[in-house]
This record gives sequence, structure tokens and C-alpha cells, in this order.
Amino acid sequence: MSTQVPVTVLTGFLGAGKTTLLNRILTEQHGRRYAVIVNEFGEEGIDNDLVVDVDEEVFEMNNGCICCTVRGDLIRILSGLMKRADKLDAIIVETTGLADPAPVAQTFFVDQEVADRTKLDAIVTIVDAVHLELQLDEHHEAEEQIAFADVVLLNKTDLVDPSILNRVEARIKKINPYTKIQRTTSCDLPLDEILGLDAFSLDRITEFEPDFLESDHDHEHDDDITSISLASETALDYDKFEEWFSTLLRTRGQNILRSKGILDFQGMNKRYVFQGVHMLMDGAPMGDWPEGGQRTSKIVFIGRDLESMRLQEGFDACKVA
Amino acid sequence: MPTDPKVNGVQQRTGAPVVNASTIGEVIVVTSGDGSLRLFQPDRDPLVFNIHESVILSMARESRYLLTGGEDGRFLRVSLKGEVEEIASFGSKWVDCVASDGEHFACSSGRVAYVWSPDRSQPVPLEHQSTVGGLAFNAGRNQLAVAHYGGVTIWTRRGIKWTKSVLTYKGFHASVTFSPNGKFVVSTMQENAVHGWRLSDNADFSMSPYPAKIKSIAWAGNTPYLVTSGASEAVCWPFKGKDGPMGKGPICVAGRKQIVSCVQGFPDVNGVLAGFHDGTVVLSQIKPESDAVVLRNATGVEVTAIAVTETGSHILIGDAEGEILWFKMQ
Repeated sequence: MSTQVPVTVLTGFLGAGKTTLLNRILTEQHGRRYAVIVNEFGEEGIDNDLVVDVDEEVFEMNNGCICCTVRGDLIRILSGLMKRADKLDAIIVETTGLADPAPVAQTFFVDQEVADRTKLDAIVTIVDAVHLELQLDEHHEAEEQIAFADVVLLNKTDLVDPSILNRVEARIKKINPYTKIQRTTSCDLPLDEILGLDAFSLDRITEFEPDFLESDHDHEHDDDITSISLASETALDYDKFEEWFSTLLRTRGQNILRSKGILDFQGMNKRYVFQGVHMLMDGAPMGDWPEGGQRTSKIVFIGRDLESMRLQEGFDACKVA
Repeated sequence: MPTDPKVNGVQQRTGAPVVNASTIGEVIVVTSGDGSLRLFQPDRDPLVFNIHESVILSMARESRYLLTGGEDGRFLRVSLKGEVEEIASFGSKWVDCVASDGEHFACSSGRVAYVWSPDRSQPVPLEHQSTVGGLAFNAGRNQLAVAHYGGVTIWTRRGIKWTKSVLTYKGFHASVTFSPNGKFVVSTMQENAVHGWRLSDNADFSMSPYPAKIKSIAWAGNTPYLVTSGASEAVCWPFKGKDGPMGKGPICVAGRKQIVSCVQGFPDVNGVLAGFHDGTVVLSQIKPESDAVVLRNATGVEVTAIAVTETGSHILIGDAEGEILWFKMQ
């Protein structure tokens, strides 16, 4: 009973291929037991015993956290599913086309019962190779869905020229250099490339190797989503970091979509691993640093207006003098 | 008073977590996630009826019957002989909450509460801005409270019409209950708090903060007290006089180094039963510094339901792994 059921969140604009993927999950002989939570106003009704219809309800929490919104319907449905006699192997949550993924992710940080019984496995965003560029220009939600994604399914690749495909992929990478891009023609990839990834686990973050390429700052609008990664080979002071980072999330968390890091604190033999969604973060000491090896603290931010947050300066000030 | 339930108790294992337990006289009815309803009564073997296809999400007593709502979209009335009447079916939509005051009865599915009155065969749909978290009738006053996001709506029946007044308070409100004298309404919240309103003037009060979400509440004692889970002790708020708990603190009893997950009043003795996250169940009087008696030791599994027969002769404990323990008090 104490094992947590993994939850995969599926985002993507109308027509990108979410229903195609869901139908595959529901009909393929995979020998696993899934529950699929779909929006009742979704693109087409899926009639199946494994499907639970919900009405996406985004609730603002009354906890003093100004951007803290959660999916109230998910708290209710997940709690109901956990009472079933049949143990589920995974739960898939489909969101509506224009949905902001933050409330879904935040639900797993805010509700203790949800966090005890289930765990956010990964956010998978399906994008349509033909229309993505236009959607990115017109809807900030498209950009947010990519910024949050652990995996981007670049779908309908058969319908565009390779040169356009490369351009689209570069644009995705520019928004979120840490996402894994999978090219597909009709969501045809093995389900284990999407489900059971454990992308949100702190354990998993210790594997991430961000590109330390400086992002390209040309032609950017103020509301463009960018990413910044910082590194330090000097150990950090826990108290200084705690003060800087908590103030940063409290005051600028609305513009920080995701943050992740592995940190070397002075006096701590284990790596301190954390990940955050807007103002909420979850961190713990996890696994020893390799014996005798170089300890490098790494931290990445994906968000808007990151330049103005003087992240490098704040991070540098946390280094042990 | 202490007892070793393993000596004279009956243990049963259902296939899924125990969800709810209700008392009808000397009968205790318990529901679980496999859709079964079980009856326990002194000196008889337990009875099992499979009534829903899947999880029974809610249960309420309606005189000698029970109302149940399930993930299979069905709203049922069940007799103590296991006879099932389907009152309504909502297809693939869950029936989240049910309630009755003995005269009217109601269920909710999504944002709509449906209320049946004795003089009408069809239910009246009452719509809300968000999904219904809880339902409760104010017995004898033709009032139905509906908890939802942003507050509690009080529906009052005048003639054949239900008119509403909304009590607002930011956040999501789940279960809801009226005080036994009908003068206060209280909701549990997503935000580790209980919120209350005095109906005469809508004055409101917050009972917080708690370290955990409040999953269980019960009325106990003659004062009466609203007993709540969500802390390392049973937190008992006094609802005496016209101010209720306003300006007063709670009495906290049965403290342990664990979170209380389930509470139930014990008849006649101003007592409370508290079930903990580790499976321990204790009985305590509601008065400061009172000693609690352990009725069951820790099992490692969260207590999800506790019920007592009307005379206090027997107790039932249910847990998150589907274990049911039924035993005689000594």
C-alpha cells in the first residue's frame, strides 16, 4: 500500500495527437493496468471502462502562496482511484489543449495524501510539427507546455520537410534545453518511452547533465521563456543558499516555471538534490558524492525574465568564502 | 474498560480499503473500495452484500436504510437485509456525496447536488460553481449545506423552491456538517483547517492550523464538541452557547506521536475514539489531562473508519488495507 502509483501528465494543443496516444494506451496489449483521466470537454469522447471523465478545476490555495494553484478535481479523483481493489500500474492525466501544466504539477507538492499514494512521473507534451511554430507565436500556453515537459513528442514529422523539422526542434530546445525530444509520425513509439520515466524523482535528477551552453539572447521578447544554468566548483553555504533561494522563489516564483539542482553544501557528504515548480520545491540530501571526485553544484532555471533576477550574482554569493 | 480485541473480536479482510462506517441501532454497516457493504451486529455472523461495481465513495443513514454513492455512477438505497434499490444512475460520472435528514435525501455528481423531497418523485438539481465536496442536511429545518470551492452554499426549501445563500471563504471546502442544534455549519478544507459559520448572522471563524488535512470529523458529548482528525491528538472544539468555539480554544486529548486519521464520538460518556495513521485506536474522555485507553495497538496501517453501536456495546475499526475488526467492549 505504501508504493506510489506513477502519474504521467499529457499536455499538448488540440489536434497534436493526444487522443491517438490515449487510444493506443487503452487498446494495446501491454498487460498493465492503467487508469486514464480525460477532460470531459476533450476533443473526442473516448468510451472505455478505464477512463474517468473530469472537469478540470483549478483551485487557488488559501495558504498565502500567491501563485499556488492546484487541480482540485485531481485530488478528488486520485484519492478515489487509490481506494479501488485493483492496484493500478500507472495513471495518465490528459489536460485540455490550452492548459497551464503548473497546477497539475503543484497538486503533487501541495496535497499530502496525493503525494503519499501517487507520484508525478513525468510531464509529456505532444506537439504538432506542422503547427507548432504558429502556436508558439500566438499562445503563451504552447511555450509553457514545452517549458514544463520532461519529454516532448514531436509528432506528425512526416508532414514537414526535414529543414523545418530541425528548425522546430531548435526552437523547442531553446525554450527547454533539458527536455527529451522524441520524433514520431502518429505517436508511434514504445509506451515505456513515455510511461514510468520517474523524471520527477529527486533520484533521477542526479543523472541530469545540462548543456552549459549560454542561451542565445538575440531577438527575444520580454515574455519569452528561456533557461539559465549555473555551476560552481566551490562548495556552497547552506544558510546563505536557503535564504537566497527561498526569497527568490517567494518573490520571483511566478516567473520561474521549473528549477532543478544538485548542490554541494559545505559540511555535507551527500549531494543535496531539489526540484521546484514555481514557488514550491522539494529537496533532500541524496547519495554520496563520488569519492575523491570533483564536486560540482549545478542548478537550472526555466522561466521568464530570468535575466532580471541576477541569478548568477545570487548564486555566487552563496559560495563559501 | 481495556480490552484485547484479538481475544473476542471478529476480523475480516475486504479486498480494498475500508471507506466508511455507519451505525443503525446495534448494527454497524461498513463499506469498502471493492463495492461491498458489510453488516455487523452482536451475536450474529457478519453479512456481505456486493452492491456497487467499484469504490463506494459515500454512505449516509436514512432511518433504517443506507444511501450509498459509487464510482460506478449509481446512487442506491440499501436495506439491512441487503435489498438494493437504484435511486439514480449517472453513467460514467461518480456519485461523490450522499445525505439524508430522514425526510429529504440528496446526492451529488460533479457540480450538481440532486435533492429528493417526500412530495415529489423527481429530484431538484441544485447547481454550483465547482464540484461538490460535501453535503449535509440541517434536520427539521429544510436546509441543505453544500461545500465547494470558495465556500458553502446553504439551500433552504420554501414551498417547492430551494433558495440559496452563499457563505464564502477562500479555498476548497470538502466535508460539511451542521452542529446538532442546527445553529452552526462547519466545513473541512483542503488547507489543513476547519472553517465555521454562525447561521444567525453569518459570522465566521477559522479553526486552524493543523499539521495535516482533516479527513474525519464527528460530534461528541453533550456540550457538544466537534472532534477533528489532522493533528497528533483529537482536537475537540466546544460548540456551547451562542458563540460556539469563537474566542475559545479546543480541548486536545488522546495525544500520541502520530497523526489522528479518524475520529468518532462514544455514546453517553462524553468520550471520543481516535484512530491513528499507524493503526492505533484509543478511547478518551473529552476533558483536559484525561488519560486515554488503548483499544488496539499499532498495526502500521492507517485507520480509515470507526463506528460504535448505539449502546456502546460494540466497536468496529476499518483500515486502509481493508482489515475490519469488530469487537465487544468490556
